Amino acid sequence: MSGLLAVKKVLLRRPALARILVLVAFFLFWEISARWWIDPMFMSPPSRVLASLSSVFETRGVPAALRITFWELTVAFAISVVIGLAIGLAVGLSRFSNRSFMPIILLLYGTPQITILPLFILYFGIGPASKIAFGVSHGIFPIIVTIVAGVQNIKPILMTSARSMGANRWQIFRWVIFPHMIPSFFAGMRLGMTGVLLGVLLAELYVSTAGIGYFTTLFTQNFDPTKLLGLISILAAMAIILNELVRRAEVHFARWRTD
Amino acid sequence: MTAGETAVRVKDVSHEFGEPGDAQFVRALQHTSLDIARGELLCLIGPSGCGKSTLLNMIGGLMTPTTGTVEVGSTVVRGPLPRDIAFVFQENALFPWCSVMENVKLGMVFQGVPKSEQEDRARKSLEAVGLKDFMGHYPAQLSGGMRQRAALARALSLETSILLMDEPFGALDEQTRMILGEDLSVLLSRAGKTIVFVTHSLGEAVFLADRVAVFSARPGTIKEIIHVDEPHPRKPNFVTTEKFSQLRNMLYGLLHDEIRKAVEQSAIVGPQS
Amino acid sequence: MSARQDRRDKFASRAVQIGFIVGLLTFWYLGTAYWGISPLLLPNPVKVWHELKDVLGSGEYLPDLQITLTELAVAFSISCTSGVTLGYLISRSQYLIKVFEPLLAGVYSVPIILFLPLYVLFFGLGPGSKIAIGTTISFFPIVLNTIAGFGYVDKIFITAARSMGASDVQMFRYVLLPAALPVILTGLRIGFTVALLSILGSETIASLAGLGHKIVHLAEAMETARMFAYIAFAVVIAAFLNTVVSSLERKARRR
Repeated sequence: MSGLLAVKKVLLRRPALARILVLVAFFLFWEISARWWIDPMFMSPPSRVLASLSSVFETRGVPAALRITFWELTVAFAISVVIGLAIGLAVGLSRFSNRSFMPIILLLYGTPQITILPLFILYFGIGPASKIAFGVSHGIFPIIVTIVAGVQNIKPILMTSARSMGANRWQIFRWVIFPHMIPSFFAGMRLGMTGVLLGVLLAELYVSTAGIGYFTTLFTQNFDPTKLLGLISILAAMAIILNELVRRAEVHFARWRTD
Repeated sequence: MTAGETAVRVKDVSHEFGEPGDAQFVRALQHTSLDIARGELLCLIGPSGCGKSTLLNMIGGLMTPTTGTVEVGSTVVRGPLPRDIAFVFQENALFPWCSVMENVKLGMVFQGVPKSEQEDRARKSLEAVGLKDFMGHYPAQLSGGMRQRAALARALSLETSILLMDEPFGALDEQTRMILGEDLSVLLSRAGKTIVFVTHSLGEAVFLADRVAVFSARPGTIKEIIHVDEPHPRKPNFVTTEKFSQLRNMLYGLLHDEIRKAVEQSAIVGPQS
Repeated sequence: MSARQDRRDKFASRAVQIGFIVGLLTFWYLGTAYWGISPLLLPNPVKVWHELKDVLGSGEYLPDLQITLTELAVAFSISCTSGVTLGYLISRSQYLIKVFEPLLAGVYSVPIILFLPLYVLFFGLGPGSKIAIGTTISFFPIVLNTIAGFGYVDKIFITAARSMGASDVQMFRYVLLPAALPVILTGLRIGFTVALLSILGSETIASLAGLGHKIVHLAEAMETARMFAYIAFAVVIAAFLNTVVSSLERKARRR
């Protein structure tokens, strides 16, 4: 049994390898149980899902819906960043604004926005506008909160040093506050992207007459788990890619931060 | 207290971390032998990374030597011996979610002391270390010096014959160390325990110890053992005597080069002490 | 800043907050009463208030509230017990932590609400799919926090207890559990909040009953005023539950 022992030793040194094995085991379990144990009306094995991915794309309207969703995500994210940055700076830079408006912002951040989703559809219609709006309303809050924290958390000693060297208000902002705030900004963007994903996808799933929501409803009602899982996987992949992009940006730009 | 009887026998002990050929392989301790007499206070002193804490952990059964054995009484040490050996650590090992009294009692719960005795023993040891008025306090509410007193009370309440102390005052400031050192000397002279005490401080070693074992830089081994012939409890003015200075200077002479060597070594990655 | 200046500032910021809210309410009232905003889009606040009183007085909210709370209770209990148990088991070995923690964190980073249609396909439009999604989403913060709590207990506590002769059971009960508890409780709080949100969300998207569904139903029936009342009601219930859970967490963390 020395072969087994050797395998065990290799695995112990490389948790990454073990992780891959766990994933493989999971997919194998899914494959086997979906093929032989579960009714094909309810579940589909990964092999079939993969094989029929092309048919998902060939379903009329799906590629368009996916493209629109992706567009909604990027637009919502861009708007969230711009608005979030503006409000964040406005609130964070002045102690008075901070004290006045932060409690209101935190209150709004804490409310379950899902309850007003029907209102968003009512106001903005069933098209991309409502999805973008709902995405923005989820995305701006983490950005605002992290920017305010980033601005407020500057060690006073840094401000004192700058002032002692004769910097005026604009210079202090440009050379002390702004660079200091960048890591928080990127962390906020990462959370903001999570929020935007949630908001846009929730809105999309809710509207069952158009867009992604139409197809998820269609595949569900037709008991077509293959196409449904295919669609979900594509959306999940989209989410992972977008998240990863923002995360990489954060790692790249926040290198000087030690915390 | 039967002097002359050996409490702990360290026989040709070595310890290595990792495997030879590993990037992180370190030979911490090398061919060290030592006999510790019952009732003596032995100090282990040496540069960082010389293996003194490793040796202490091996005596206490928290680590096993790669080669060689440690005997306590007639038994070979293979794991913790809570009925014979109690520890006082440098870092704060008091449980932050328990009050001082609860911390002391918890030690006895682990050791297996019957519940009826716990309250009495805890009270006695807390009074002995001067924490009578702080029994209900939590560690976060106490200063560093008081926390170490509590840790000492916990160890004392276990009523073991051997006490192992790993730089117990290391995180404290000079003045607190001085006071605690004096109080410790008084306390230990009454308790009659065998004590092994690891320290970085030359003055502390001379003030407290009957013997001081000086370690070389890594791979560590005992370079020399110095005797401090002065009765316990040590008077505070011992520090000002000629004898004290001589002993301290002797230690300095032995240690200085080893410390330099250790500093040069610390550029190489490896676990400490 | 001097104490007097500070107090003036505090007063002024309070005034701004109150002014902001009052202003908002005023615009709302004026907008619907005088400026001709369609009542289908923005109902009159007075009407909303009347609808709210009607809903509360008649007890009309009860069946939906009951369904939502039941779904929440079942989902949370399942995710709680499974999350803490699995988290503890994984935390027993640093190797297991290194293998499973990144996997779990990775799965959690995907918006799990995407799986709702699959659960609906599986369990139908009834409470089953809501409980399933609530359990799935809240499982992750609980298991991850439990791993963090148990897995990163300061080594010195374990060493000290071992040196005093603690048995495995004693170690768990007197050292590991109290040390890990604050982090685990935070995980439970987050799990609760997330379970509530995902259940409300799934009721909104695909359900036949529950608070989320009720709001959608009223929206489709164009009963905007009553819908606003229910939204307010749901927000208050959510806020209340979250406050209770937060204060429980804080009380247990007091040490």
